Amino acid sequence: MLETARELTLEAAQSAAINRSSKSDYSSRTYSAAHVKKLLDSRHEREVLDGMRRVISLMYHSEPSLNFFSAVVKNVASANLEVKKLVYIYLVHHAEAEPDLALLSINAIQKSLTDSNPQVRAMALRTMSGIRVPVISQIVSLAIKRGCGDMSPHVRKAAALAIPKCYRLDPNTLPQLMGYLSTLLGDSQYFVVGPAVAAFLDLCPDEIDLIHKNYRSLVKKLVDMDEWGQLATLRLLTFYARKCFPRRTRMVKPSAPESFYDDENLQDDQNDGEEYEAPVMDPDLELLLRACKNLLMSRNSAVIVSVVRCFLYLAPSEYIESAIGPLVALLRSPQDMQLIALYNIVAVALRTPKPFARYTAHFLVHANDPPHIWRLKLEVLTILFPHCGRHWKGVIIGELEHFSKGTDPDLVRESVRAIGRCAQGDTSTSGMCLRILLGQISSLDGNLVSESLTVIRHLIQQDPASHKNTVLQLVKHLGSTTHPDARATIIWLVGEFAGVDPENNIAPDVLRVLIKGFADETEMVKQQVVLLGAKVYLHHLLQNPPKEQPEQTESSTEPEKSAPQQDFQNEWNDNGTGGSPDADQPHEEGHTPKANAREAKEGEEEEEKEEEDRITLLWRYILLLARYDTSYDLRDRARLYKSLLETPSSTQLANLLLLAPKPVPHAPSPSETRKDLLIGSATLVVGTDAGYHGLRGYTTLPDWVELGHEPDSSLRVEDVKPDTSATQASLTAGARLDKALKEHQSTVAPVRNRNGVPMAADPAGKKTLDQWLQEESEEETETESETDSEGETDSEEESGSEEESDEDEEDDDESEEETDSESEAVQKESTQLLG
Amino acid sequence: MSGEIDAVYVYDEQNAPLVEHVYRSRPPSASAILPLYLAHAAPRPSLLYIASASPPVTVFSTVESNLLFLAISEVDTEPLLALEFLHRVVDVLEEFVGAPLLSTKISANYDVVAQLLNEMCDGGTVCNTEPNALQEVVEVPGWVDKLLGGIGVPGSSTPALGSTNPLKQSLAAASASQGPAIPWRRPGVRHTSNELYVDIIESLSVTMAPSGRLLSALASGTIAFTAKISGVPDLLLSLSTPGGQHAFGRKIELPVFHPCVRLAKWKEKPGELSFIPPDGRFILAGYEVDLLPIDPDLDEPPSHMEKLFLPAIVDIRKSLGTSGSEFEVRLTLNTNFPGQSASSRPGVGRNGSGTSTPSFLGGGGSGSNAPVLEEVVVSVPISKSVRHITDMQASRGDAQFTHSTGLLEWRIPTGKDAGSVSGTATLRCSVSGYPSADDDFDDSLEDADEDANATLLQGYYEAPTSYIDSSVSTTKKTRSSDPSKRKKKKKKDKEKSSKKSSRSTALKPEDVDDSGAVTATTPSPDHSKPATPTPKPQPSPQLHANSSALPTFFDPSSTSRPARRTKAQINASLMPNSASVSFSVRGWLPSGIKVDSLNIDQRRSRGLGESVKPYKGVKYLCVSKRGVERRC
Repeated sequence: MLETARELTLEAAQSAAINRSSKSDYSSRTYSAAHVKKLLDSRHEREVLDGMRRVISLMYHSEPSLNFFSAVVKNVASANLEVKKLVYIYLVHHAEAEPDLALLSINAIQKSLTDSNPQVRAMALRTMSGIRVPVISQIVSLAIKRGCGDMSPHVRKAAALAIPKCYRLDPNTLPQLMGYLSTLLGDSQYFVVGPAVAAFLDLCPDEIDLIHKNYRSLVKKLVDMDEWGQLATLRLLTFYARKCFPRRTRMVKPSAPESFYDDENLQDDQNDGEEYEAPVMDPDLELLLRACKNLLMSRNSAVIVSVVRCFLYLAPSEYIESAIGPLVALLRSPQDMQLIALYNIVAVALRTPKPFARYTAHFLVHANDPPHIWRLKLEVLTILFPHCGRHWKGVIIGELEHFSKGTDPDLVRESVRAIGRCAQGDTSTSGMCLRILLGQISSLDGNLVSESLTVIRHLIQQDPASHKNTVLQLVKHLGSTTHPDARATIIWLVGEFAGVDPENNIAPDVLRVLIKGFADETEMVKQQVVLLGAKVYLHHLLQNPPKEQPEQTESSTEPEKSAPQQDFQNEWNDNGTGGSPDADQPHEEGHTPKANAREAKEGEEEEEKEEEDRITLLWRYILLLARYDTSYDLRDRARLYKSLLETPSSTQLANLLLLAPKPVPHAPSPSETRKDLLIGSATLVVGTDAGYHGLRGYTTLPDWVELGHEPDSSLRVEDVKPDTSATQASLTAGARLDKALKEHQSTVAPVRNRNGVPMAADPAGKKTLDQWLQEESEEETETESETDSEGETDSEEESGSEEESDEDEEDDDESEEETDSESEAVQKESTQLLG
Repeated sequence: MSGEIDAVYVYDEQNAPLVEHVYRSRPPSASAILPLYLAHAAPRPSLLYIASASPPVTVFSTVESNLLFLAISEVDTEPLLALEFLHRVVDVLEEFVGAPLLSTKISANYDVVAQLLNEMCDGGTVCNTEPNALQEVVEVPGWVDKLLGGIGVPGSSTPALGSTNPLKQSLAAASASQGPAIPWRRPGVRHTSNELYVDIIESLSVTMAPSGRLLSALASGTIAFTAKISGVPDLLLSLSTPGGQHAFGRKIELPVFHPCVRLAKWKEKPGELSFIPPDGRFILAGYEVDLLPIDPDLDEPPSHMEKLFLPAIVDIRKSLGTSGSEFEVRLTLNTNFPGQSASSRPGVGRNGSGTSTPSFLGGGGSGSNAPVLEEVVVSVPISKSVRHITDMQASRGDAQFTHSTGLLEWRIPTGKDAGSVSGTATLRCSVSGYPSADDDFDDSLEDADEDANATLLQGYYEAPTSYIDSSVSTTKKTRSSDPSKRKKKKKKDKEKSSKKSSRSTALKPEDVDDSGAVTATTPSPDHSKPATPTPKPQPSPQLHANSSALPTFFDPSSTSRPARRTKAQINASLMPNSASVSFSVRGWLPSGIKVDSLNIDQRRSRGLGESVKPYKGVKYLCVSKRGVERRC
């Protein structure tokens, strides 16, 4: 009592001192290293604690704190819990740098493993497994084994958490660790199971044999676990379900009211007649899905996404529909999580857009959304667009139009594209979208104009037949648009439509007008003009086949090189002199083809060439212009078209080349490429940057197991394990442990066989080790159960310390022969000692 | 592997590494990862894959009170897991070292921070994030401070002196060996004064079309609960909405709950929250209310919608003044909160009666119950091409333009000395852009030029199609500097030609009635017909006309003319296209949710004397962080 009072006074004095001095009093400035060392060496706990705090501060300040190592390690056996904690933190942080000194502390930590306070035991286990010195892997493994059988669930939890760490220390311990895991996975405490599942996923996610008998208990505990345990378990069970529950279907006769909707199904199935396939769910899978439904009100966004993943990949559609709302609700969270939620929403919406429609209002872009957020919101809006009613469609289009007039060029571009995608997704509104876009090409914003035109081009190409007039409208804009992209796009479109309605086509006229300003155009536009010329000329050739004959003879008789040269000369002259008549010609434009046709029948070469065939003249003139252009690319192109169109024999080839039907462009949703990535993974967010296989550690969901290949469902029947509380209560702790160990042994053996990898240690030694431990732990737990958690008896402690002294020797050995401090050596030693 | 957090780094306000805690493997150090992280352009996404680091890592980030928190992972980790973890770290640190996190506070408590980080995640697996459970295992050095400071610190289970006190140790051992009965609540909590507080905070988010019509109105709510109560209390909190109990389930959508809430009870009776609270402050639940429910399949605009009260509405008129370089922001404030006349509203604020009787339902005594509108700020995003804003004339408050953020902020005082809060305030500004090459002719000339242009353009666009027509109206109206009309007309044209006149109502102007409530009823169809009806899209014969008329379209001069932008057009492009208002209202919730009662179930509670009547307080707060947004 007196002691306590004194402590209290000291504590008060200290906090007063802290108050007086500045708060950053622990920083190194005020205290020299020598002073800290002195504190650490002090015999007063309080001073040691003070010293430890300073050391930790140094450590976090990234200032040298390694030189205190020996002084700190001395305190590892301190009776004061706080000192111990800080020493442990220091030790884990620095052990790698000072492996030898760290090994000295193992001894004391091991002693703590048998402490009467479970908190101390758990801490010791966690620290020991955290020390990254591979030689101790066997000791850690033993410690975990002891932890697995501990009375306190906290220690068992620490054991579960230590398993992956031990595995990383030395992968050879895997078979033992899997044995421990199978014990822990069957633990009755939900907060032990969670970390055990996480360890399982880390260690051996494919060994689903360990899961079978725990499956149902895992599902039952799912709701009670903490969020992190739920996450691990949901992931495990999702993978497990794919591997163990084949997709069964059975034939069902559609009931009368449903038949309307099932028509489509019937068509798909073709031969099923009246029946259609309905999925049959495994009762065990249904158990999981029902348990998941309870998690949809979790406050943890990651849990929600995990449930969505589970429903999306495993369950029939009614389940995923119930999860859409909670998924959308994630948009309430802070912006950083909102972003991730949106990625997942997009991925889900690409598969099942319909249920999102009622949450459309959540995806309206706000003025303060950063680019990565609005980009995804716009995408969601376009995905939902076809599924909304007309009212919301109007709102969405209005929103997109609003943003397309904004000042942020990226936002403008994206919203125009979004309008295009809307039109594409719902053809009934494409007319309206087109009108909006057409309204925008007279804008002053070149960016907006060219983007709009690109989208317009896509829309026109999707349905060329009904857009003849649209092209006409666009042509009118040629006069007012200066943006090269826009002009090029329009000219290209005119070229595409050059063959439509030959009696009444504007293409030759457009060409004629464009040629006048040819010299002032940018190269991109010039290219398109030349291309347009080639197309127009080609159409002309195709429509007047008789004309081919004379040309062919002409070109075949005359040497190729001189002929065009001559022609050009003539043409040039013609045009040069006939500049003014040019202006009059267009009035007759409408009649030219007819005239041509008539003239062609007459078959007089010269007449045709010089008087009637204006298109040929035009073409020659273009070639001439292009020939003297500064761009070699343009000159090359012109030459290509020239030789292609020169000989009638290659007209068909030119037809294939120039007038080939263009593939209909389809602008997919930007996230379409991520569609197949697993919901909830980081790879889904990173996307293609993560490489072909995704980020390291990314695994796709396995395919459904084929019918007949699945593990027998009877495996999942829980055996009479201490799972139900009744049996648990009746068993003594010792008996329970016995049982667990027996199970453990039986599971360890097959595991080894399955792996086919022989253990590094010889099986004999292993066995004795197990036996020895079993005996020991039996003793221990018996005494524990007698004293009923009020601390262990002396005898037990003795046995503990005996064991430690054994290992002390071992440690000493190690530190003496530092040269061969390999794990094998330790293993052998330990087997010798223990055996 | 669902989650592997390799390290947590915290950087201070100057981006200097503050905390560096490595959990597993060897991720790049805090100082190595920072430049790679900062290399990404400014609004950084919360997940970045940094392939250039060795080894390549994914970086999860969140910024909290100017401190940058990073979580590093080498393998594919569920991003939300990592971010949730970071947020928990922030919460826990706030709980242990004090609410606004400051780098000095953290560096003064490194030992606590170290223990916390060590406990929260073990070897990369997140394991223990419950503040109550952490209080069990992490000692706080200054606890005597708190004791002396008179704050009810539960002494019995604080392990500060645990190791030296054998009795305590054995107690701790006993409780620990059985495992915690309630994972989120510390055992053996004792408070000298028992208090329970419910804070309901709703954040309002409203989007309005240029016409003033509401497009969406959402309120997302959070119920924060503070329990300072001894033993293991079992509480029952009943909420209600104006619509009555059965409407509650429909109104409160998509709730999420703290694990302590019994879901079965909620499902059975929506609005009733039955729970054993953790000790201290925590978020009990979150929900949202759609204040403007619209059926997604609706084809017609909804004919009748609920009347929605908004305390602040912003409107913007642009392209004003002689050269169209001015715009006017108009803010309508309204403090006639609905339902205030009925005095059944519970006492507002915690400083109500002050007695320890649970009589907070009785209307809190002397304090004024009227909701208080505060912190009214109008934000107008300004285009990057605006050089500066001059002549800011605000009828109330003062405005400021920050070029770096591109935000015009206008603060309107609502304090007592500001007089009546309700009413309209205006802010008129004029913008000026960067001088450009096209800008060099003087205004008078330009005006003439403009007119000439306009007539010319008119001639050019006099094509018999509706598309062209709409662009004519654009050009004309820009000049006549009446943006609202122009917009309207354009919309009209478009919609008329699309023959979906039903939709046109979606964007029609709405009357903002004087009480400030926005009614969302359908206006009469002929409300604002365009003056000149536009012809229908042309039939095919006109094609001939077009092709014959082509030469005029391709007048050589036509290609160069539009490049010359008039000043008005440039100014039009400088105009803002949205405005939003932020505010907070104490004592009013958009959803109208109220706390009906908060009771302690004495039968199920333990460790709390029968006679103890804890003090209870309820607070309502509505915040809108640039939430009421008006397009224009």
